[in-house]
Amino acid sequence: MKRILAPLVGDAPMVTAIGLCKNAGKTTALRRLMAELDGECLGLTSVGRDGEATDLVTGTEKPDLYIKRGDLFATARGMMSLCDVTLEAAALTGVMTPLGEVAVFRALSDGYIQLAGPSAAGQLKPLCASFAALGADRVLIDGAAGRKSLAGAGVEGTAILCTGASLDRNMDLVVAETAHVCRLFATRRPASPGLAAALDGCGERFALFGPDGEPWELPLDENGLPRWNKLPRERCALWVAGGVTDPLLKTLARRGAPVTLATADATHVLAGRNVLELFTRTGGQLTVRRELSIAAVGANPWSAYGWHFQAGKFEDALRQALTLPVVNVNEKED
Amino acid sequence: MELTLELREESGLQWVLERLTPMSPFGRAAARALRWYAPGEEAALETELDNVALALELWNAAGPVSPEPEPCCCGAPRLDPASLKDTAALLRGVTRCLPLFHDIRGSLDRDPENPFDLVELFEIKHFLVTLEQLTQAYAKLPPFQDLAFVSMDESLDLLDPDGRRLPAFSVSETYHPDLGPLRAEKAALERSIRAAGEEEKASLLDRRHRLTVQEDLLELEVRRELTRRLMARKADFLANMKALGRLDLFLAKAKLAKRYGCVRPALSGEARIALRGLRHPQVAEELTQRGEEFTRLDLDLSAGCTVITGANMGGKTVSLRSAVLSLLLCQCGFFVFARSAELPLFHEVALILADTGPGSGGLSSFGREVHLLDRLLQHTRDRRFFLALDEFARGTNPQEGAALARALVRYLGTLDCVALMTTHYDGVSDVAGAHYQVAGLVRDVRGDEGDDPRSRIARRMDYRLQSAPPGAPCPRDALRVCRLLDLEPALMDLFQADL
Repeated sequence: MKRILAPLVGDAPMVTAIGLCKNAGKTTALRRLMAELDGECLGLTSVGRDGEATDLVTGTEKPDLYIKRGDLFATARGMMSLCDVTLEAAALTGVMTPLGEVAVFRALSDGYIQLAGPSAAGQLKPLCASFAALGADRVLIDGAAGRKSLAGAGVEGTAILCTGASLDRNMDLVVAETAHVCRLFATRRPASPGLAAALDGCGERFALFGPDGEPWELPLDENGLPRWNKLPRERCALWVAGGVTDPLLKTLARRGAPVTLATADATHVLAGRNVLELFTRTGGQLTVRRELSIAAVGANPWSAYGWHFQAGKFEDALRQALTLPVVNVNEKED
Repeated sequence: MELTLELREESGLQWVLERLTPMSPFGRAAARALRWYAPGEEAALETELDNVALALELWNAAGPVSPEPEPCCCGAPRLDPASLKDTAALLRGVTRCLPLFHDIRGSLDRDPENPFDLVELFEIKHFLVTLEQLTQAYAKLPPFQDLAFVSMDESLDLLDPDGRRLPAFSVSETYHPDLGPLRAEKAALERSIRAAGEEEKASLLDRRHRLTVQEDLLELEVRRELTRRLMARKADFLANMKALGRLDLFLAKAKLAKRYGCVRPALSGEARIALRGLRHPQVAEELTQRGEEFTRLDLDLSAGCTVITGANMGGKTVSLRSAVLSLLLCQCGFFVFARSAELPLFHEVALILADTGPGSGGLSSFGREVHLLDRLLQHTRDRRFFLALDEFARGTNPQEGAALARALVRYLGTLDCVALMTTHYDGVSDVAGAHYQVAGLVRDVRGDEGDDPRSRIARRMDYRLQSAPPGAPCPRDALRVCRLLDLEPALMDLFQADL
């Protein structure tokens, strides 16, 4: 098999497949990567449930996850009967899901598995540690799909961003949305070491810093939200611990004064493309505490809803809009 | 006796229990269902206290000595100083295992014909492996009384046929003669699937699927058999979990005693309480946070009712709560927060505080007191009880209130009980068995006018309880307390003029 993805992910200890929508080809990308990494002991899990034969949301047929003997995987106990590998129970994680506690299994044979892993990104880190303790060389995560659930990409390592025709009938819009997410993931840490250090130590919900990380007083209202009209007019950095939504960015854009918005990582920016563009047009900048990376963009021209793009045209359009490698992960087309 | 949430909170027992840190799910279950040692169970309580004392010796051997150099472990088997270092290592062998246990009681609560799934068998194996490690360390420790573990080697060998004690479980080929050949065939097929092209793959996968179904059936048969054999030992599993819970609770009680410098209570046969250097840990902690210090109390109570009088904010209620807390802790097999304690066992320990919280059931504070008192008297007919009353009958008119309080003190003197009552009414101590008075606002301090009123009062107050003759008048300190609390001067003038 031609190695397309393996060279792109390099030696990242964790690779998360994230999708811009359902049927973006996450599982296909994951299968491709598994096949390319067949010399490694892999640890597999998902954010939420995945691996089922038909998609529970859209009802379309989904690719199976067939793993090799020796691989590890974490799934809810309720999924055990749906896995046909010879199983060895290796550890329990303490993570509860509606399908039971997530347990770590070792495959004693090749076979099909169904993944239903932790649903919170914060639970992935200890799980990855437990995979490593059991001998996994690398962890692959089937991330959640959907523009607002890039959860799972917030762990260390790299991501494969999957995009496809299921996102929208309009190809230009799909390309623009994909480019938007890639731009978000390209957000870097602050250039000023002082500000970078100040963000690292920040535990509050909101905080205000000067350009070099000197703490400035941030007036808050009775709900603990900043008094936006009291923010200084000169360039300052506003730390937001939670999600950055459309209303927040609009408020900052309307002030008409430059502000650097700092978040924990790119997955915290939930605002849409247009609002983010408005924000940057008015002098706003984004910065993050932790940089994330996308190793490659996987393109699926087929949608689950009856319309399709021309494969070559779609990939070309993506390549023009993005600086990241765009790959066709559908192995059948090799 | 039932330890109601109200009693636990009012006495401070809840605060203590929140600081009790058992390490295993079984220890936590034991801490939620504390045994109450009633009169007649002195021997069992002594055994429990012996075990806590032994656990305390082990903790002391294992770590730095407690901040307060007092724990006297009367009655505990003394450890040979030379062996202390080894003891520390052995104790770590036990305490390292305790947090590893999972609560598998739910899995055992089943029909033996309903097979365990793979993860349940994994958890049972994990339990047995951890139990084996723990019992090996436990066997080398000085023995706790009445605490033994049932050997489960047979069950462990069943789940660990190769004896490697690894923390993983699978249905291995050794369980069924057909499993090995079937899996070998499947593995060969899987190798061909890896090498096969798209066309032949489908039929190979189909063949593989048929083999996985057969494998599944064989595994089910094995799991059924394992379940039957493991469930036959259910009683032993449960007995071991109970023993683990008790061991964990001894260690947790001792850790608490070490942390707070608690003392083993001596059990007295007669209705007599002697507490020296008593303190209330919750109040003491609050005081420490404010930079103040708790004044330890000495309290001797005998049958009948003892009355405490004294200035407002003189710590009368705290002394009630401290006494009740000591009794509750002792009768649950804990060490107590004092320098020494001699306590009898009661059938019932009650605390009736004057301040009603929310939800007093449509009763006024007076109505609630009377109701609780009546319920207690009905409930403890001909049985020994302890009763602590905070300013009983203060919520009604002073003349009737004082008469009722006097009547109650007289009445309690005729019952088999030890009672402690605080009051501001004159004449109540005349009929009491004994009378304590808070030393009161005796210290002369000047020049701290701007300070927190609480600190100003604390600085002037001598909280010690002093024996007072029966009938000694109640101190008149309300005026001074009001002044220290910075009450509106115009109001103070009127108050003073009225006096």
